[in-house]
This record gives sequence, C-alpha cells and structure tokens, in this order.
Amino acid sequence: MLTSRALLRGLKSGFWRPLSSTSSVQAAHGKDMSPDVLDPSVPQYNNRLDTPLSDVPFVRNLNSEQRQLKEKEKGPWTKLTKEEKIALYRLTHELTYPEMRRGSSEWKTVLGGVFIFLGFSGMLVWWQRIFVFGEVPHTLSDEWVEKQTQRMIDMRVNPVGGFAYHWDYVKKQWK
Amino acid sequence: MAHPSQLGFQDAASPVMEELLHFHDHALMIVLLISTLVLYIIVAMVSTKLTNKYILDSQEIEIVWTVLPAVILILIALPSLRILYLMDEINDPHLTIKAMGHQWYWSYEYTDYEDLGFDSYMVPTQDLVPGQFRLLETDHRMVVPVESPIRVLVSAEDVLHSWAVPSLGVKMDAVPGRLNQTAFIASRPGVFYGQCSEICGANHSFMPIVVEAVPLEHFEKWSTMMLEDA
Repeated sequence: MLTSRALLRGLKSGFWRPLSSTSSVQAAHGKDMSPDVLDPSVPQYNNRLDTPLSDVPFVRNLNSEQRQLKEKEKGPWTKLTKEEKIALYRLTHELTYPEMRRGSSEWKTVLGGVFIFLGFSGMLVWWQRIFVFGEVPHTLSDEWVEKQTQRMIDMRVNPVGGFAYHWDYVKKQWK
Repeated sequence: MAHPSQLGFQDAASPVMEELLHFHDHALMIVLLISTLVLYIIVAMVSTKLTNKYILDSQEIEIVWTVLPAVILILIALPSLRILYLMDEINDPHLTIKAMGHQWYWSYEYTDYEDLGFDSYMVPTQDLVPGQFRLLETDHRMVVPVESPIRVLVSAEDVLHSWAVPSLGVKMDAVPGRLNQTAFIASRPGVFYGQCSEICGANHSFMPIVVEAVPLEHFEKWSTMMLEDA
C-alpha cells in the first residue's frame, strides 16, 4: 500500500504536474517564467499596450558599448543613426507594439485538445451502439411509420401549424 | 400529440394554451434579443483595438442597465400574471369529470347525471394495431364534448401522479387525499395525448392520458354506450 502511494505521488509530481499546470503550458508557448521576472515586490518591467513607458528599463546592466550609446543620447538626437535609435529603443523596451500585439499559437493546442476529446467521445458513442444497445421497438419499422403517419394525417394532428397543416388534403400530398 | 422532429409546443387545442403559446413567443423573443445584444457586446469587447479598456465607472450607463432590465421584467410579468389569473377564472363548467391516478393507470368518473366510471390502461406495445402510437394509446379514452367548459377534479388512490395534456394546456398534480381542480375548453374536435407527469413507480412512463373531444351528440351516444357496457 505504501509503495502504491509513493508511486502515485511520484507520478503526480513527475508526470502530471509539469503537464497540467498553467505555468508549464505558458512556458511552452513562450512566456518568460524566470524567478526574477516573477518577483512583484520590486518595480517590474512590463510590456503593456496601455502603458507605453514601464517603471524600469528593460536592460538594467549596461555594458560599456551600451553606456557609450547612452552618453551619445544625451546630445542632439538628430546626430543618432537609425540603428542607434533602434538600439536605444531595445535598451528600454523589450517588445515593439506590433510584437506585443502578435498572438500566440496556443489556440492550436486548445483546438487540438478539443478535437481529441470529441473524437474520443465519438468512439465511445459508436462502441455503445454496437456493443450495448439492443434492437429498436418494432413500431419504428418503415411500414409502421407509414401507417402511423397516415393515421396522424387522418386525425388532423397539430392542424394549425405543426403537422397536418403541411398536408394538402385536396391533392393528397405534402405541401 | 407530438410529431417527429418537433421543436416547439404542440398546437393549442384550448384557448388557455393559445394564450400560453403567445406568451412563450413574447418571452422567447425578449430572451433572444438580450442574448444577441450580450453576444455582440462580448465580441466587440474581445476584438477591440482600443488599449484603454479599464474605465472604472460611469453613472449614466449604470442607470441605463439597471432601469432597462427592470422595465423588461415588468414587460414579462404583466402578460404572465394576466394568464395566471385567466387560468383561475370561474368558468361555469358544463361537465365535471374525476380523474383518479392509480399505479399504473387512470380512472375517470362521470357522475354528474349517471354513475359512469371506467379505467384507462395503456395499450402494451405488442398489442398495438399497426399505425397506433407506442406508449400513448389507451384502451378507453376520456371523451368530452367539444367547445364546452369541462372541470376536471384530479386525485390519486395511492401515490402522487400528475394529469397532463400539453395541447390543452393542462397539468395538475394528483395527490392522494386531495382534490385538485382544473378546467379546460376543447376548442376543436380531435384526440389529445398526454402522459403521467409525476414519478409514481416502475410504470410511471406507461400510464398515458387520452382525451377525445367530440360533438355533443357523439358524446351522448358514447356515454350511453359506456353505461350499457358497464
């Protein structure tokens, strides 16, 4: 009994937890899950469409080349080349607006999962039909249904808008 | 009775059922309009290109979406109460029939003039004549004159049952030791089927109700014949 419990616990943490948790699915789809990113007690860098300037710049620790660029930025900006301006942007921001708006491929995983489960349910239903269900009552045979339909027409079943309404009693056919 | 692939109610055979059909159309239309509006709002909110999506308050919209639902609810409540009281009106019935629920059949007693009583058992599936309706046919039908107000007193001899005929707009619980009254007018001749509507044991699904509305002369002939047979 203890071995089965240990086995279960091992399976849960080693196999199921990494598979089923939101963080593992998000990491698989490209979200940065490193611990310093997830510490909310210090100001964080964030990519948000409605706050263009975040609390801290993206690159905190500049190397000497980047520090030189920052010094050049203190002068007139017309002297900066296009590549330098882009490099400065990338120092303070991780993503551009189009990059932020770009969606993930998570929907493919979701849709695939939905189809898998639908298919599995379909297999269950089909198996049931073959191995579990018996014969339908004899009142569903074609001759019976024909006689029954004629009887329903004769009895004027639902004559206002339901059933007998659709039968043309003069021409003896459906309207 | 219901026809194949039926989605809505059966056609009304009594004025009350006609009112219920109209009310159902009214309420369903309101539901459809609200659902369409909500679906549109959801799609608009999800697909917007705006970035400032976190407005914290607005007094005007709060007033609108409080008052408007209250108005809609009143628009639903007024016809609903109207029909409720309509169903309870004193209608001076021409005939009183007692419908007694048993396990597992109904018995009908017409005791206004003579002592007429009979049981109504379901016709078993293997005994059906080709063309008859499975689980709905009975050996004796409750025959009533057409276009006459009929009072039905519903009770039970053993456990709870419920006497229901959807096309007449009638459902009344059969409680042992209690007499429940309901009434209907069959506005057109025909045969109207119903089934027991309160779980009552193994054969709860196999004790149907069949009401046959016929012109008065036919009713008189039928009741004479039933009295002679008894």
